[in-house]
Amino acid sequence: MTTVLYPVLFGILILVLWQTKTLHAILHTDTFTLPLPGRINAIIADNFPTILGNTIVTVRVAILGLLIGSAAGYLIAVLVVIFPTLGQGALAVTSVFTAIPIVALAPVMNNWTKDVSGVVSVRSAVSKIIVVALVCMANMSINAYRGLTEVKPFSEDLMKVLAAKPVKMFTKLRIPNSVPYIFTALKVGVPSSIITTIVSEYFAEYLMGIGRQIKENILMAQYAAAWAYIVTACVIGIALYALLMVVQALVMRNRKAR
Amino acid sequence: MTTEENSRNEVEISIEDLDVTFHDNSGNEVRALEGVSLDIRKGEFISLVGPSGCGKTTLLRTIADLQKPTDGMIHVAGRLPREERLMQKFGIVFQQPVLFDWRTVQKNVELPLELMYYSRKDRHQRAKDMLEMVGLSDFADSYPSQLSGGMQQRVNIARAFAIRPEILLMDEPFSALDEFTKEKLHEDLLRMWRQTNKTVIFVTHNIQEAVFLSDRICVLSPHPGRLSAIVDVTLNRPRTAEMKYTPEFNSLVEKVRNSFEGGSI
Repeated sequence: MTTVLYPVLFGILILVLWQTKTLHAILHTDTFTLPLPGRINAIIADNFPTILGNTIVTVRVAILGLLIGSAAGYLIAVLVVIFPTLGQGALAVTSVFTAIPIVALAPVMNNWTKDVSGVVSVRSAVSKIIVVALVCMANMSINAYRGLTEVKPFSEDLMKVLAAKPVKMFTKLRIPNSVPYIFTALKVGVPSSIITTIVSEYFAEYLMGIGRQIKENILMAQYAAAWAYIVTACVIGIALYALLMVVQALVMRNRKAR
Repeated sequence: MTTEENSRNEVEISIEDLDVTFHDNSGNEVRALEGVSLDIRKGEFISLVGPSGCGKTTLLRTIADLQKPTDGMIHVAGRLPREERLMQKFGIVFQQPVLFDWRTVQKNVELPLELMYYSRKDRHQRAKDMLEMVGLSDFADSYPSQLSGGMQQRVNIARAFAIRPEILLMDEPFSALDEFTKEKLHEDLLRMWRQTNKTVIFVTHNIQEAVFLSDRICVLSPHPGRLSAIVDVTLNRPRTAEMKYTPEFNSLVEKVRNSFEGGSI
């Protein structure tokens, strides 16, 4: 209970400091650069359909990128377990992708995908999804590899003595064992997919998307509108994380504390 | 000689001049076993006893095809260990309980049956019978983490018996348990062994335990691991806890202890 209560209380404290301009005093800033929560709230209410439209574009890219990247990462981990000598190199190469800044990756992918579709929104989405997928892939492959290999001592010996075929070694032992590790990867993957989507949108061809709106509004010095989108991005992040927690609780409901 | 006695005298596992050498993590050559020859009879309860490093676990693992012999031969029912393993003729219980914590107790016992493609109904019934045999029927739907160490090890025994293995391999299965649980499980194991008439190979470093359970005790000595003596346990069956206080029991314990090369340990 306190795990929910304390963050909420802390959030309320920040809001109070913000609305009473105490925060502005601390940060030596003004209400133009850092608009008051009441004003941000009013903008969100007034422009709700527009904000929702942009939110859908962003969430779609983030979720598809996360799912495709995580699936690819998991597959890589499975291949590394099957072909260990080739695999260690593959894992290293995958993690190199996380070291490439998104700002460098996004324009490359924009160029690469320019002939994918005649529709701007589609080819722009494909480009952004690839960037998000690449970022999520390495994280999943490393966690999944641990989940597939860090089994209880003697589990593999037991399966061998019971004449388990290699496929059964995966379906009955390695894959079930990797489930908690998948969630570990997704807990990092959810926030990073949203951030990656937003940053990719700065460079995207298509003009819809939260990241794009933040950039445009800041360029036009419309800080209150920019903050409305920043708040929306935070809400999306919290909502998706909460959704992940619910799914985890459902999937792992039978696994008691170890 | 009756047919029953005939089958009791039949050799189930024949080990001839077995050498096992492997390399440890730092690359040093370890001569785990050297020149071990042993015949194990069908339905026999045999213990492998010795200090750590004597190769008793290696011998068990080599029989189970978890370790390859470097030299010499092992035959199990006239076949190679690998062939027997692939026919699921071995049941195994390790020192620590190996239960999958995403499966209920019932489903853990069903695991070996799933691997042999038993029908859902047969699996369920067999696992139910096994859990009843180890006295855990009420915990069928519990998860391993909800069970005590002793109960978890009983689930392991139930799982090992579930496939009705010809040979039951036990690697210090009770060493991590308290004395009370251990004594209870000794009696359970002997009862199940009597009912099913399996060949049991039991690894332990506890001489009392070996004397109480076994028909014969193989004493192994370390560096390199080799068979230094075989002691026949002449105690009557069924064994009872009271036997542990008889002079005969104590003299057998003494005999095993004195069989270690270089005297007592």
